[in-house]
Amino acid sequence: MKHYKKMIQPYVVWAALLIVIPLILIALYAFTEEGNEVLTLSFTWKNFAKFLESTYVNVVVKSFWLGIITTFLCLLLGYPLAFIISRFPEKTQATLILLVTIPEWINMLLRTYAWMNILADNGIINQLLDLLGMRPVNMMYTDFSVILGLVCNFMPFMIIPIHTSLSKMDKSLIEAAYDLGATPFQTFRKVIWKLSIPGVLNGIMMVFLLSVSTFVIPKLLGGGQYMLIGNLIESQFISVGDWNFGSAISLILAVIILIFMSLMKRMDKQEE
Amino acid sequence: MKKKSFFSRFYVVLCLAFFYLPILVTMIFSFNSSKSLTRMTGVSLRWYSELINNVEVARAVYVSLSIAILATVISTVLGTITAIGLSSHRKIVKDIVLNVNNIPILNPEIVTAIGLMLLFSSAGFRKGYLTMLLAHIAFCTPYVITSVYPKVRSLDPNLANAAMDLGATPFEALTKVIVPMIKEGVFAGALLAFTMSFDDFVISYFVTGNGVKNISIVVYNMTKRINPTINALSTIVIVVIIVVLVSVNVFLPKLEKRTDHIHPRVRRGVTIFLVAALCLGLIRCGSISSQNHVLKVYNAGEYIDLSLLDKFQEEYNCTVVYETFESNEMMYTKLASGESYDVLIPSDYMIERLIKEDYLQPLDWDLIPNASGLMEEVMDKSYDPGNKYSCPYFWGSVGILYDRNIVDQADLSEGWELLKDPKYKGDLYMYDSERDSFMIALKALGYSMNTVNEDEIREAYEWLVEQRDTMDPIYAGDDIMDNMISGNKAIAVVYSGDASYTISENPDMDYFTPNQGTNIWYDAMVMTRDCSETDLAHAFINFMIDPESAIANTEEIGYTSTVKSAYDAMLDGTYAEISSYLVDDSDPRNEIFGYQDPKIKQKYAELWTKVKAQ
Amino acid sequence: MSNKLIELKDLTKNFDDQQVLRGINLDIYENEFLTLLGPSGCGKTTTLRIIAGFEEPSSGEVLFNGIEISKLPPYKREINTVFQKYALFPHLNVADNIAFGLNLKKVDKSVIAQKVERMLKMVGLEGFEKRDVTLLSGGQQQRVAIARALVNEPKVLLLDEPLGALDAKIRKQMQFELKKIQQEVGITFIYVTHDQEEALTMSDTVVVMNNGEIQQIGSPIDIYNEPENRFVANFIGESNIIEGVMVKDFLVEFDGFRFECVDKGFEEMEEIEVVLRPEDLDIVAPEDAKLTGVVQNTTFKGVHYEILVKTDLRIYKVQTTDYAEPGRKVGLSFEPEDVHVMYKMGAY
Repeated sequence: MKHYKKMIQPYVVWAALLIVIPLILIALYAFTEEGNEVLTLSFTWKNFAKFLESTYVNVVVKSFWLGIITTFLCLLLGYPLAFIISRFPEKTQATLILLVTIPEWINMLLRTYAWMNILADNGIINQLLDLLGMRPVNMMYTDFSVILGLVCNFMPFMIIPIHTSLSKMDKSLIEAAYDLGATPFQTFRKVIWKLSIPGVLNGIMMVFLLSVSTFVIPKLLGGGQYMLIGNLIESQFISVGDWNFGSAISLILAVIILIFMSLMKRMDKQEE
Repeated sequence: MKKKSFFSRFYVVLCLAFFYLPILVTMIFSFNSSKSLTRMTGVSLRWYSELINNVEVARAVYVSLSIAILATVISTVLGTITAIGLSSHRKIVKDIVLNVNNIPILNPEIVTAIGLMLLFSSAGFRKGYLTMLLAHIAFCTPYVITSVYPKVRSLDPNLANAAMDLGATPFEALTKVIVPMIKEGVFAGALLAFTMSFDDFVISYFVTGNGVKNISIVVYNMTKRINPTINALSTIVIVVIIVVLVSVNVFLPKLEKRTDHIHPRVRRGVTIFLVAALCLGLIRCGSISSQNHVLKVYNAGEYIDLSLLDKFQEEYNCTVVYETFESNEMMYTKLASGESYDVLIPSDYMIERLIKEDYLQPLDWDLIPNASGLMEEVMDKSYDPGNKYSCPYFWGSVGILYDRNIVDQADLSEGWELLKDPKYKGDLYMYDSERDSFMIALKALGYSMNTVNEDEIREAYEWLVEQRDTMDPIYAGDDIMDNMISGNKAIAVVYSGDASYTISENPDMDYFTPNQGTNIWYDAMVMTRDCSETDLAHAFINFMIDPESAIANTEEIGYTSTVKSAYDAMLDGTYAEISSYLVDDSDPRNEIFGYQDPKIKQKYAELWTKVKAQ
Repeated sequence: MSNKLIELKDLTKNFDDQQVLRGINLDIYENEFLTLLGPSGCGKTTTLRIIAGFEEPSSGEVLFNGIEISKLPPYKREINTVFQKYALFPHLNVADNIAFGLNLKKVDKSVIAQKVERMLKMVGLEGFEKRDVTLLSGGQQQRVAIARALVNEPKVLLLDEPLGALDAKIRKQMQFELKKIQQEVGITFIYVTHDQEEALTMSDTVVVMNNGEIQQIGSPIDIYNEPENRFVANFIGESNIIEGVMVKDFLVEFDGFRFECVDKGFEEMEEIEVVLRPEDLDIVAPEDAKLTGVVQNTTFKGVHYEILVKTDLRIYKVQTTDYAEPGRKVGLSFEPEDVHVMYKMGAY
């Protein structure tokens, strides 16, 4: 394979240009102030100091809280589904996994709009309740609607890695556990769950990453009061126009995520 | 296990129902005869026929699809050769490349998007198709590498040597031995890349420009007036995906057997033909703009009767590249980041700022003969004295839209304080914009909305915080309109034009401007300093205030026309009963927004973030 | 070897439309080493899995100590299994794998530790407690799997082709050890294999299966020497199988000659098949034998020569220590007790 060593050169150049330089640019913006010329570059911590104000800290706390809740719910609901799917015959499994994936191919915004119409005060659910003579329920622009939207959008990212780890598990291990006297529940707890942990960690990483940095779904389903890190970054770039502060927030978010990811990776290694 | 099977099946069905419910709703309402997305009024194919005629959507589909295909092909090739090359490198090289490769996967999408945006704007790239394509390749390739690399690693390192030992050139060994062995990984990577690219919103949103939009961006811009044509589009997308998947799973295995008999040369021919067709298509698309005169217009979303653009293009034998923004600030950001446009349609205060910062060039009114039809009331305002730079497009006020069946007429005298009336707690929308929210608070407190007095601003901030704490308002964006048409809440802060449109769709609603005074605003057409097609730009401006166009425009959008004849026609016709169409600029407490010092502006932005985020 | 421990009565099993077991009747005794032998797809593994509780029979009964258990889940049976590829838990170390069953029963930690240690000693893996199971050799994993099953003190140990993944030398050694372990712990082993040599060396009883049916049950010696039909004869060892007729008790006719034999109980003039094991045939001078032929091919096989002798009607395979060069005219001889008469396939 030595002949092909040189084939990585295009990507090395590419990665330097389109992966590394953008990060450097973000860092550069984060540590400088607006209107700084390249020649008179002076670094500042101001953007980071600003971030420590309680408002912004609250935004971060809320984002992480939401990320954790979403991840937890996706795991809680997605694991059983992945587990059940992995118990079907192989052909059915493939079909079911396909069915889980297809919605991801439909534009995320469209699905979110549909949820808005389902959950709205005069939306489909409330119309049904009305027909049944029940009082309408306020669902839109609440934690409920945001979390619902996030879970609906991100759950497949939890299901698929878990299903992969469950379906490639040697079935005889489960039989071995039964054989050694483990009840179905004990078998699950002591063998199946333990062996699916790499998939679970993968799913957690994916869902948490997506939900902590999202800005479209909270904006649409939660309204403007649903300020998350993603929204904060977006508004700094799009409406406020403070690119430096926006870059600083991006940098902080990236660093937090990378720390989180490397912790998860380490856990994963230990499990193995 | 078997005992549980009913419960298991039930759970699977339940989960799938959860995933498919929004899609089903989308599909069902694509056949609705009315615009409502919550109430079926009848079955029709109206939105499908509108879809066929919608050039913007057709272009977006083309952009999404061609970018997805190109990005998939390029990133798959790039990723595969990199993965193959990587396997024979030393561990340290592998580690570095793989770790760097992981960055776009692990980084939040929005950070990647911003990094790329900063890169393109500092490198002076013209944003559009190419930047979008580059960005898509950039975030797709890492996924290809991560799915191909493990397959390469599991190959016997002697494979290539064996092939070359048998007389294959390195290239033949690669294409005939190695690639077939790892094709599963390559295929999985390509599929992932295509999915990521086709559905991408965040990254495309930040890196695109010059009117190049993919489906996601078009959908996002449609928030203001949710347009069932998009439901029709997504229904088609869903059907296509299902057909493709079914044929891949059911027919492909059979087809493969059959095509095995086809001579490889024929197959290669077919492939080359497809690639060539695609390239031709791309070139054609790219060359649309170079055929004749091009005018780049940048307007707020859903702020024009799109058929007028076609008419204009026909009449003047030119191409209009039409792009929309979500807010004046977003427009400014784009402009500041080096985008070039010919005609902009911003609001008064933004025009003032653009003039100050030298982004505009003066209009030659001799080239705009229709100007004589403009209303006197809209001319010569403080943002552009003497209308040196701007030609008024629409105008209006900011006020309160309310449900007559719920809100007591007597309470209207409270003016802006109605928004703090505990009777309507949890039943109102505020507009998610610092400018309009602070305007309300300042007016309610009796101050000028253009104040620079820190104490007054602080007081207004406290007014808003109090309102937030006592009233639980929803800070919504353009989705307010659709919500109010559905009657979801009783009260909303809106622009008068949006009110007119809402009232025409839902007669239960009415509009009033509070007696403490409000914001009277003017949106006007301006010509950028970089505009080279000045004749065409003037023609466009003139065309838009032509009485006939103006009527079509105001009728479609619901905003108040600045053209006298159109204004009168509407008051007698479509919007006769609708108070919001009539703009009352006589009250001295009404004001126009003025230019804000960046410091003050940022102060407002920060305070507004705090109101919302606490 | 006195009490019946397990009885299989008329077991059938269908997967989809396919019948994999067609009425299995089998008694298994305490302290017996019983082997289910047969080619792949013969139903031996399915039978084992039904005994273990991983499959339910489509019909028929499984009695354990006289009690019907076919609906009992595996974790409630006093039966343990050594799996084909061992199925060791990759997330647990050697000691934890072995202690898995005891931990579930909430046995006292110190007792567990003792038992694990004893088991490791028995299988010859002292000091391996903390090892990662995925890094052990095949033979070592095998031993851990056996220890993990036996530590639970089951009444029956099921072994599903446990030596299949090992190389020849370790295989031989493990055969010996397994037999030793079985004698040491004194419980019933039910062993599934397709390897006839394994079956013959270790078992008390061999059950030859084919196509979902039992072909023959017997001691290894019976199975080898007195195959009941062509399938068994062919599957166990190498054979010359010749169609013939049973003239009367102790007299058989084939290849146009009548021979003495030790078999009886057939009908007169019944069509039968005769097995002549290659090692039972001797090459003699043509004049000393009824069957004569020409040496067609001689291959050196280490301990013996394998000689193919072409007679008028067929080719006989002979294994002998004497050399005979190709082309030579020779005679074939055998003793009456070497003629094994079997029922003809299909008439069974």
